[in-house]
Amino acid sequence: MPVTQLSNAHYASLLEAKQSNLPGQDLDWLNRLRLQATKEFADGGFPSLRDEEWRYTNISPIEKKQFTLSDKAGDVDASFLKGILLDDCHHLVFVDGFYQAGLSSLDALPEGLVVSAISTGLAENEELIRSLFDSVVETPALGFINLNTALFTDGAVISIKEGVQVEKPIQLAFISSKDGALTVSNSRNLILAKSGSKASVIETYHGAEDTCYLTNVITEVVVEPNARLAHSRLQAESLQAYHVGGVYTRLDSNAIFKQYNYTFGATLSRCEVHAELGTASDCDLDGLFISQDQQHMDNHTRVNHAQPHAVSNEFYKGILNDKSKGVFQGRIVVAEDAQKTDAKMSNRNLLLSDRSEIDSKPQLEIYADDVKCAHGVTVGQLDDAAIFYLRSRGASEQMAKDMLTFAFANEMVERIKINPLKIKVLEELLKRLPQEGMKVEWL
Amino acid sequence: MLKIEDLHVSVEGKEILRGINLEIGAGEVHAIMGPNGSGKSTLSYILAGREGYDITKGRVLFNGKDLLEMSVEERAWAGVFLAFQYPVEVPGVSNIYFLKAALNGIRKYEGLSELDAMDFIATVKGKMKELDMDEKFLYRAVNEGFSGGEKKRNEILQMSVLEPSLCVLDETDSGLDIDALQIVAEGVNRLRDPKRSFVLITHYQRLLDYIKPDFVHVLAHGKVVKSGGPELALELEEQGYAWVDEKKAS
Repeated sequence: MPVTQLSNAHYASLLEAKQSNLPGQDLDWLNRLRLQATKEFADGGFPSLRDEEWRYTNISPIEKKQFTLSDKAGDVDASFLKGILLDDCHHLVFVDGFYQAGLSSLDALPEGLVVSAISTGLAENEELIRSLFDSVVETPALGFINLNTALFTDGAVISIKEGVQVEKPIQLAFISSKDGALTVSNSRNLILAKSGSKASVIETYHGAEDTCYLTNVITEVVVEPNARLAHSRLQAESLQAYHVGGVYTRLDSNAIFKQYNYTFGATLSRCEVHAELGTASDCDLDGLFISQDQQHMDNHTRVNHAQPHAVSNEFYKGILNDKSKGVFQGRIVVAEDAQKTDAKMSNRNLLLSDRSEIDSKPQLEIYADDVKCAHGVTVGQLDDAAIFYLRSRGASEQMAKDMLTFAFANEMVERIKINPLKIKVLEELLKRLPQEGMKVEWL
Repeated sequence: MLKIEDLHVSVEGKEILRGINLEIGAGEVHAIMGPNGSGKSTLSYILAGREGYDITKGRVLFNGKDLLEMSVEERAWAGVFLAFQYPVEVPGVSNIYFLKAALNGIRKYEGLSELDAMDFIATVKGKMKELDMDEKFLYRAVNEGFSGGEKKRNEILQMSVLEPSLCVLDETDSGLDIDALQIVAEGVNRLRDPKRSFVLITHYQRLLDYIKPDFVHVLAHGKVVKSGGPELALELEEQGYAWVDEKKAS
């Protein structure tokens, strides 16, 4: 049997083999979804290079690995965990795809905020979960989405009550342990920001060093009228790992959604950020990726202006070193009814090595006639005038280049409003772009 | 301190400097004046080490060392400072980090230890006050969104923090209103020192009302056509640069 078929059969068989480990077996609606997804996966399998949306990212290494499911969470070192959890946040910790109550801190939740793991909160929050599940993620489902629906073991469910402003950010920390080697963690997060509420959610992804695993995660978000949600994503997986993720959001009228997407880890990663915009809603998508060695980083965004008067602003930056490869595909669709749309998309890339590569593909599909749309892509090297200026003040040539590279990235970090997250992202940045004598407090 | 001997420089086959001779002693202030296109800015870039110029003849000695053999940063470490006519914007690099990196680069060269961060910030803030600069500029990106006058003040701030021995000011007066000019000139005058030399490159005499030069040189068509004392600047102000062309014609 060819690898693909073998692989499809392998992943499809996991549902049967591991069903007893999956939450919600007693729920017919969920079982039906799982079975349908399994069937679709068995037929369609993973996407291939022949799919237009996947032509720059070859996922055959994932097929070949035939990852299995963990039965339980592995051990996580306390000091490792300490480096991951952000100060001044509510925390939900998942290890190898399973919620770890003992590592989480949900004791001081404010009034009007529901935060729970799906595994432990299914009975209590079934209606909420059912209403959100599969409600935003796009169909026809693709391979990884089917896999996730069929096999998800856990995830977070968050609901913010009408008009409630949640002060502390909610961190969802996904960790893969050494024991999770060669397994796939399928997590599903569901977020509902009800009318007029305000909150901030952070997803972080980390794994044990030198460990190979697959993270396959989907987050579905609904931002109701006049609500405001900030959503950040820090992907700092092990450099041996694979990461496929997506954030699918629906914005109702006058909703505000700010998404910040930081990609540093994994040997191969793909992230989808999709947003469907209601009337006069406001959506920012910011992204930064830094690739080194032979890393492959693929960012796909889709902004769907379905209704009039919405504003979207998308800005992705990439820094590519060594033999690494980056992909950016940004698609803006403006529906016929979406008059007075204001949509901007920009992708700027810095190639630090002549062996690195970026494929950048902005796409605009406009069916309305009274709209403002702009897009731009740049691929460049550092500014010679700036290098000269810095050197003329006493920075060595290498230092000048390091400073400018860091500065290019830092523009995206400066946008982070949550200080503990900002510091964490800066630390990741400094690991990859070392700066002599840099003090984080100067940034 | 600085000795320029028969310096010839071309850009893309076109000769810009055609045999410059100039000697600048320690503590002296020299003004180099001349019409547009005379080669003034080229001379300043040559001293700072910018690429893209062919030095076809001549040499430049800085404290007895061959300046043209040194890299851009080596010149900065050795004490050469060019205040740019058009300071470069560096988004994402804060002024404070930039200044500290520059100063530590120089201190490292001199075999000195890194400055303590608190002392450093206090020193810089003091100097900013003298230049009537708001402290918030410290944490803003270098020159980004600065007005013309703010950029020029920032150049003088860098100069006063780095304490170079040779300061080359390229058209520092351009784009400044009279108040800003005064502040900048005072900043320069505070730095005057028997061990520090200045080269003021300017089109107009105006700057020299505030910074008194010891010597004035007139540069035209890539050569020094006349040298003299401060009175030469006043002469130029009265006569304009027309006589320079007449001189060439004769």
